[in-house]
Amino acid sequence: MEWNFLAVLRDFDLLMLGLLNTLKVTGLALLFGVPLGLALALSRLSTFRILSGIAGFIVEFFRTTPPLVQLFWFFFALPILIDVRMTPLIAAVVTFSIQSSAFFAEIFRGGILSIDKGQWEGAKAIGMTYGQCQRRIILPQAIKRMIPAFMERSIELLKTTTLVSTVAYTDLMFQANELAQKTFRPLEVYTIVAAIYFVLIFLFSQFSIAVEHRLAKSGEGTVR
Amino acid sequence: MAHNWDFATILQNWPVLWVGIKGTVFIFVITVVLGLGGGLIVGVARYSKSPFVSWPARAFVEVFRNTPVLVQIIWFYYAFPILTGIETDPFLAAVLGISLNTMAFSAEIYRAGIQSISRAQWEAGKAIGMSYNQTLRRIILPVAVKRVLPALTNRGIEVFKMSTLASVVGYVETLNQAKLISDLNFNPIESYTAVAVIFFVVLYPVVQGTYVLERMLRKGD
Repeated sequence: MEWNFLAVLRDFDLLMLGLLNTLKVTGLALLFGVPLGLALALSRLSTFRILSGIAGFIVEFFRTTPPLVQLFWFFFALPILIDVRMTPLIAAVVTFSIQSSAFFAEIFRGGILSIDKGQWEGAKAIGMTYGQCQRRIILPQAIKRMIPAFMERSIELLKTTTLVSTVAYTDLMFQANELAQKTFRPLEVYTIVAAIYFVLIFLFSQFSIAVEHRLAKSGEGTVR
Repeated sequence: MAHNWDFATILQNWPVLWVGIKGTVFIFVITVVLGLGGGLIVGVARYSKSPFVSWPARAFVEVFRNTPVLVQIIWFYYAFPILTGIETDPFLAAVLGISLNTMAFSAEIYRAGIQSISRAQWEAGKAIGMSYNQTLRRIILPVAVKRVLPALTNRGIEVFKMSTLASVVGYVETLNQAKLISDLNFNPIESYTAVAVIFFVVLYPVVQGTYVLERMLRKGD
């Protein structure tokens, strides 16, 4: 067995293109997933039974079904159900936005519930409405506590995006498959790709650990 | 566009799907036992005072936690045989990928559990003449594992969902069979909906169970 990285390095730009697309899917899923998660969390906390019931069902459904099944459903089934032209990118962004929003919703809910009841009462006493209190008092404190769990979830999302390669979106994983077939060097290709993911995710998680320590110093515990 | 939902084809193909469900259960049982069991060993090694034990354990955990599990499965399927000469079939590649990934994640859970036990417990064990291993086995681990039980159950749920990734290298499990049914009967909606429902029906009660377990443990502590 001899390692030969030359063939891989020659087509390294293919992998970099894939990496860019991986980051693009992750970024778009975060962009839509976070606000959707907040909406789901607020709905689930609502005293209006039907709303909280529906939000609870969505969250539990997307948390208990495998992301790959969801991706296949949105890619192969949805275009038949409603008349849309589905591309791998749209399917990926839709799937991972909703999937991660279910997890973000639970982080938001945990954060909001962790805020002392006295804060609500204080805000109410000085005449704030529910919306004002949520926006000015509760969420700013809750979000600070949620940051570590939030970053951990984003890292999970980045890892989950590898699934888009199965519906032929040209992310890093897909490019690796292509390159492995083209160069007949699967060992080198997949090892390099694993290393790229490792470096990327390791840096993100080190950053998140640093932020967590910083938050711990300022007296904000972490909410899991 | 109105779609006529027709689950009859799914019921007609139930034997095909059943083969897949058995495949899912089989790989789940093996990977969850190897993953959570092996994780305990790695977690204890990670806690060790000797750097020769704790550093390899730490490197293992970092590598498998910081790479996507799909990359691991595919690496074991295509790259591992070239490196070692050991042929891996889809089943073995998926088992290696999912088990090692789960070992790394659960190792951190066990370690957090061990660390959460007060130092006084160690000292008490030492004071009545127990060795490090005896204290760990008889005093620390029983309490530590009980504390992290909800986190371990969550890992188990993740493993069950992860089993679908085995279909990517062609292992016969539920999603793979659903794809087969969908290709033969042109009914992706019903096929994939059925799979989603199966996973939801199995995992929803388990998730609710973990909430109950968490509450019980909080009261007990």
